[in-house]
Amino acid sequence: MQVRRLIAGTVVPLAVTAGLVGCNSGDSAKVDPNGVVSIQIAEPQHMTPSNSNDASGIQVLSALFAPLVNYDDNFKPVPDAATSIESKDHKVWTIKLKDGYTFHNGEKVTSQNYIDAWNYAAYGPNAQNNGFFFSRIAGYGATQQESDPDGPEGPEKPPAPRAKTMSGLKKVDDLTFQVTLSQPFTEFETILGYSAFYPLPKAAFASEGVLKEDFESAPIGNGPFMMNGKWEHDAKVEVAKYDAYPGTKPKVGGVEFRIYLQPSAAYADVLSDNLDVIPQIPTESIPTAPDDLGDRFQRSSASQFQFLAFPTFEQDFANPQVRKAISKAIDRDEIVRSVFKGSQQSARSFVSPVVAGYRENACGDACEYDPKAAKTLYDQAGGPKKIQLSYNADGPHKDWIDATCNQLNANLGVQCTTVPEAKIADLLNKVEEKQNVGIFRLGWIMDYPSMESYLGPLYTTTGSSNYYGYSNTEFDKLVQEGSAAETPEKSIEKYQQAEDILARDLPVIPLRFAQNNYGFSTRVQNVVVDLFSRIDLNQIEVLGN
Amino acid sequence: MSDLEMAATTELGTHAADTPPAGATPPPKTRSLAADAWYDLRRNWIFWVAAALVVLVILMAVVPGLFSGADPTACNTRRQFAGPSGGAILGYDFQGCDVFSRTVHGARASVLVGLFAVLLTGVIGLVFGMLAGYFGGWLDALLSRVVDVVLGIPLLLAAIVLSKRLAADRQGSGIATVVIVLGILGWTTAARVMRSSVLTARSQDYVAAARMLGAGPLRIMWRHILPNALAPFIVVLTITLGTFIATEATLSFLNIGLRPPAISWGIDIATAGKHVREAAMPLIAPSLFLTLTVLAFIMLGDAIRDAFDPKLRR
Repeated sequence: MQVRRLIAGTVVPLAVTAGLVGCNSGDSAKVDPNGVVSIQIAEPQHMTPSNSNDASGIQVLSALFAPLVNYDDNFKPVPDAATSIESKDHKVWTIKLKDGYTFHNGEKVTSQNYIDAWNYAAYGPNAQNNGFFFSRIAGYGATQQESDPDGPEGPEKPPAPRAKTMSGLKKVDDLTFQVTLSQPFTEFETILGYSAFYPLPKAAFASEGVLKEDFESAPIGNGPFMMNGKWEHDAKVEVAKYDAYPGTKPKVGGVEFRIYLQPSAAYADVLSDNLDVIPQIPTESIPTAPDDLGDRFQRSSASQFQFLAFPTFEQDFANPQVRKAISKAIDRDEIVRSVFKGSQQSARSFVSPVVAGYRENACGDACEYDPKAAKTLYDQAGGPKKIQLSYNADGPHKDWIDATCNQLNANLGVQCTTVPEAKIADLLNKVEEKQNVGIFRLGWIMDYPSMESYLGPLYTTTGSSNYYGYSNTEFDKLVQEGSAAETPEKSIEKYQQAEDILARDLPVIPLRFAQNNYGFSTRVQNVVVDLFSRIDLNQIEVLGN
Repeated sequence: MSDLEMAATTELGTHAADTPPAGATPPPKTRSLAADAWYDLRRNWIFWVAAALVVLVILMAVVPGLFSGADPTACNTRRQFAGPSGGAILGYDFQGCDVFSRTVHGARASVLVGLFAVLLTGVIGLVFGMLAGYFGGWLDALLSRVVDVVLGIPLLLAAIVLSKRLAADRQGSGIATVVIVLGILGWTTAARVMRSSVLTARSQDYVAAARMLGAGPLRIMWRHILPNALAPFIVVLTITLGTFIATEATLSFLNIGLRPPAISWGIDIATAGKHVREAAMPLIAPSLFLTLTVLAFIMLGDAIRDAFDPKLRR
């Protein structure tokens, strides 16, 4: 008993001292301009601009490359590696590059580097993940393969595409090139900030149009950091400051991107100062994070949108009134409070607050929590007695899915069950094969700050991520008109009209907008996580002794 | 009490060859093995504690309403981690479910899985042990190697693979899956025990006598050997029941056993473990009941074994 009391007595003063030390060092310690900061990532799938579409790969690439445009505080594009990006008719765009940029191997960055990189990404046989971002450029269709005559497993190869390069890309001089789109697109400048549009040096190519096989183990970019060694799979990627970078110089000497399999392990390392930054604290640690980290636990807006999707092709959910009743039976604020401890934000519209054109309550009455009205509506519309909620178990979703199911049980008098699928790919495959999964969860992170990034891929009839069989010609037309409108304001007007159709039809029901909940060690300060959930490497600082 | 003794005698002590002719009352001092065991058990306090716990758990499984009137699936996050109130004497968990009610209702899955898995184990073990022990020779060698092979498979690893395969296309709570997994992996000890007691019984005089009187192998196995080889087998099964309940909780904890809507201690322990820094009771309650249940069955098995083992008799 005596021993136990002694231990309990010493722990508390220690904790208090640690807290004080943490505060002091933040104010008085000197910034070390050559310090190396360590940041948690997951194992990237790829590390080339044209093939990376996972958050970790893009985080590393953003250190190695400088984008054509960046975004200001209002998420409007501002030229970065470009001096100007202009168009009179939104169809022919002239991009002028800043002088003085070099690749890490000393090569000067020219307009040809962009043209080569984009043609490589778009060329069908290269099968790059980000190829479809170039589909708006004229001549994209000619670089794509015809469908394989005897299927992918047959012996006969599909005919090579008609063209190796897109006719819409034209070099004017070393620092200027012209992009012709197949149809006017008002927000073309905005999408140029995405990592797919980075340039590639001549050294990246083995021969014309063929990328070196080991390029992605040590990519050569035009950005503020250069590779320090190679990509060590499942261990780390190290980058060091590139001194000849003409843009805003970072305030650290280098970054070690450390690869973790378990976010909880990374969190423990941040607590013990073995890791500097964790961009997303695991949900179950969020309630205790303010105690663990004090003011080193911070939040910022992110662009992620969480929603429940209906298989609208199924009889049970074909009636929009049933979908509306389910939406009204979910108490979003309560789940944000109890499950997420305020670390996310209730969603009552179909686009994230970070994009221009967002309206706080675009969903209107359908997202208003009203259990009584929901029950009446549900019974009138003849909703199913049993509801199944499917989710992927590799993400932090179980807690909120359970809570949502409990609310549907209580408010609609249905029998709701939750069904975990091991991976998100399993869930999407089942949906694509139209197996019976019931209602399923999905999340969406924007590719570029525009309403179109939320509306086009998710709900248009041919959208790349339209998993719910939703098709509305009026909606398709409004999105199309929006992308072709003359001014951003007119685009937004059309997009908002399209969003109103979603609020009526409810192919999905908005639930929450995520936030970045990040933490950092006592060694660093000025840690900012942006709306793409990436750490801003220009602002972070390492504290010296 | 004497009624019970008689019943035990006729059930377990039918020594067809060396008991006196039917109808003759046995002399008061010569009790059968089972009667002796029962006499011992009655005087063992461990047996009574274990039996009381087992009865309690079975009551919880059969009529949970007797202990808690609250619906274990009526959860509301507004009550998240709320303290004890009204019927919820242990408070509420992360999802706002009544912890006591969930713990009580969790007994059913555990007992069901335990009982059915032990039944399956018993049938497989009995057949294997009996055949191997009675016939011996090449059949014994073959069956014993099969036992060795199954024994060499790590239970958890095989359970992960099997339950993934079995559960791939099935909906529902998964009780059948867990029973099958435990049944086809856990029968080896029972089979070995059965084999060794059959070996002992086979060489007894009354078996030889029955054979000389013209009894076939089936009749000898069923009427003469089985009743006398059963006691250690039942002891092993009782202990196995306890370990099966623990294994079920382990599988459910690892997300490869029972699934919601089933209520299982393993599932609740897994969920509560993530939030233990916010509230400990949702973790403590199912863990405690799981421990007590497993302990009860193992203690019961131990007590019966002690009673049947003449060397340990006081």
